[in-house]
Amino acid sequence: MGIAEQLNTYLTLAGALFAIGTFGFLARRNAISMLMSIELMLNGVNLAIVAFGAFVPNLQGDGAVIALLIMAVAAAEATVGLAIVIAIFRNRKTPLVDEYDAMRR
Amino acid sequence: MRAWLYLIAAAVAGGIVTTPALLVLILLKGTFTDALVASLATLMLASGIAVVTMRDIIRCGLAMIVCFLALAGLYVTLGAAMVAAAQVIVYIGAISVLILFAIMLTSDKIGSSRLVFQTQAAPAAIAAIVVAVLVALAAAGTNWGAAGEAVRTATGDLAKLLFGNYVLAFEAVSVLLLAAVIGGVFLAKREKDVP
Repeated sequence: MGIAEQLNTYLTLAGALFAIGTFGFLARRNAISMLMSIELMLNGVNLAIVAFGAFVPNLQGDGAVIALLIMAVAAAEATVGLAIVIAIFRNRKTPLVDEYDAMRR
Repeated sequence: MRAWLYLIAAAVAGGIVTTPALLVLILLKGTFTDALVASLATLMLASGIAVVTMRDIIRCGLAMIVCFLALAGLYVTLGAAMVAAAQVIVYIGAISVLILFAIMLTSDKIGSSRLVFQTQAAPAAIAAIVVAVLVALAAAGTNWGAAGEAVRTATGDLAKLLFGNYVLAFEAVSVLLLAAVIGGVFLAKREKDVP
């Protein structure tokens, strides 16, 4: 059975993409890089859901609908997240998250 | 000189993307779809790693577009053509452009290119690798009751589901998008009265 006909291929890929996003979210200093990493994680989850919808007979069709709804929620998340980053940037003049320390001092 | 560098980089990238496809075709005797999936997966993972590791954040944003495009190709091989189209329209057309605009609005010339990683980058890498291995093990060790091949989702059936069973979620998402638009405008709006 080829790799294109196995659910595990796509699930492993989705896990790898989610892990890349996790690393970026934990390791990057720039707030927009962190938002991009969150988008990568959402896309990994979306890939897993579409793969389930394509391979598991009970979820036939549902996977694609849920993926579309997740895309709309991701768009809302990106809008609000970037607006927050821009609002913080206007106050602090830096996009680096480790310099947002006003509540720690 | 620079043009040669770009040519060499393009050749290396093309090699990285086509090598897995050739390996699958020759070593595993896979079909054309297998080769396509291997190639798209490599492109997706390579550009995803580029997103989180490159120094220039504009290039990170452009690599993210490549990653989303490869992912749309994977959706097509999974038989979800509508999701692939929405991926191109929503992610590449809207979210990536929004992120590129935000990058250009917030980039500072000195600080951003010097140090891109936090001090916890090494533990973060370990945690990410652990997550990937755990997900792969869980996926391999579970019987999902999966069919032998990907079933194509017809767009008409998708529409019937979306406006039938899922119509409440659809309406809720539309309200959420409206709230997000208003919230985004409110948050990013410049306040005039602040001295």
